[in-house]
Amino acid sequence: MISIQNLSKSFGAKQVLKNITIQFNKGQVYGIVGENGAGKTTLFRCIAGLENYEGQIISELSPLKNHLGLLFTEPFFFTKITGREYIRLLCNARKERVSNIDDKNIFDLPLNQYASTYSTGMKKKLALLAILLQNNQCFVLDEPFNGVDIHSNIIIIDLIHKLKDLGKTIIISSHIFSTLSDTCDEIYLLKEGEIIQKVFREDFEALELEMREFTVGNKIERLELK
Amino acid sequence: MKEYFKLQFLMTIRKLSDGSRPIVGYLLALLISLVFVGVSFWLLSDKYDNAPYIYVFASLFFISKLSEIRRNDFLKICFANRQYRKVRMLENLLITLPFVLFLVYKQHFYLTFILVAITVLMALLNFKATYNIIIPTPFYKKPFEFTVGFRNSFFMFFIAYVLAIIAVKVDNFNLGIFALVLIFLTIFGYYLKPENEYFIWVYNCTPTKFLIEKIKTALLFSFCLSLPVLLLLSILYFEHIGVMLIFTFLGFLYLATWILAKYSAYPEEIGIMQGIIFAFGLFPPMLIVIIPIFANQSINKLKEILK
Repeated sequence: MISIQNLSKSFGAKQVLKNITIQFNKGQVYGIVGENGAGKTTLFRCIAGLENYEGQIISELSPLKNHLGLLFTEPFFFTKITGREYIRLLCNARKERVSNIDDKNIFDLPLNQYASTYSTGMKKKLALLAILLQNNQCFVLDEPFNGVDIHSNIIIIDLIHKLKDLGKTIIISSHIFSTLSDTCDEIYLLKEGEIIQKVFREDFEALELEMREFTVGNKIERLELK
Repeated sequence: MKEYFKLQFLMTIRKLSDGSRPIVGYLLALLISLVFVGVSFWLLSDKYDNAPYIYVFASLFFISKLSEIRRNDFLKICFANRQYRKVRMLENLLITLPFVLFLVYKQHFYLTFILVAITVLMALLNFKATYNIIIPTPFYKKPFEFTVGFRNSFFMFFIAYVLAIIAVKVDNFNLGIFALVLIFLTIFGYYLKPENEYFIWVYNCTPTKFLIEKIKTALLFSFCLSLPVLLLLSILYFEHIGVMLIFTFLGFLYLATWILAKYSAYPEEIGIMQGIIFAFGLFPPMLIVIIPIFANQSINKLKEILK
């Protein structure tokens, strides 16, 4: 369980997160949605302990970061490290012995090639595979579906279901609403650093319609496309 | 194109001033120029037969830094094909120019011609074809510094081992020691740039443990890499084994200090301040003071990530 209480974060004069209070429970999947710059990534960085903040983030897992699998929107890779070595690096760091990597290579990645030469989607899959092999208790996945092919998208959705069944806590951000409605139990709407809405599964459809109405509005008509 | 070179100049000054006022950057640029002139006169004096070759290699080393693939991909996006070639050629020639002037002054016309030809060629060639070759490394089980570093600089070890063999052939122990120093200097390069914070954050340990692990790995692997030279020299120059052990010990000590310096500057690169403190350590007893300073600063910096 992760409990966030009155979390605020500023960069200089700009307040990026405002008084956020959320509770993430075991065996549940949470979605965070919001426009670009709404504060999703900053929230994730705070949970991971990569940013200083005001307020509290409490967890029974202490320290939380040692049990957290963190997937960035654009994972970083060293230029001359193979996919296999990347997995080994991340597992070694968590003192997790990993064997039969080839058997566990569910995305069929070319693990003997330099990871930096992978496509965007392959990089994402490699980073995801590495944090899965770390055997974490919580997962923070920033845009896990971004740039990933449709087959892998299906695998990732099933993976999230499996992690949920195993009692793990999963927090996801995505700009593809269908992936969130397929996986999440609750979705939080983040706007300008504030949680403005909390929606349960039964209301996802209404939320999507509401977001579409709010986001698109008459913007396309304004283009006067001919 | 004019804007590009103006920007490059500004970036260089900003890098040199390291966050302080631009005047510091200008002064340092002047100092570096003076050092360059001094070193050039010294190297190209008639005392050293092979010095002009080293001089040419030094120039090519700087040019090779501009050939980095991602940098060039970015330039290709920014400029049209013809303009890109012009930019690359011009920046390569700008770097080579001071070297060329000295070579001409010392009447090394043949070398000047070779240097200019390679400079122009390096602006035209595309090195991408060799990019995907996976270089095997004995350090694959413990990424990343030695895994990445070895792949980037394996030829330096080849040179060092060849130098050690030449040292034995020409019966020059000092050359053998130089080979050893070359190995350590190459390894120092592995710890020059700060890694992405994720690769520190991911560790499941305290800052002290993290640093100990990093140093342990560095010492073990650098020992492995210097072992062939150490064995060769200790067998053939047993009478000088004391000198060799002192150099090896100092190599390990400086490497550990360098790693601490790296993390004391984190997330920035090792800056002027760390460089100056490290330079004091060239007088080895000063390391008794310097190592705890760097260690303390490193732990404080890492605490922010490894909470």
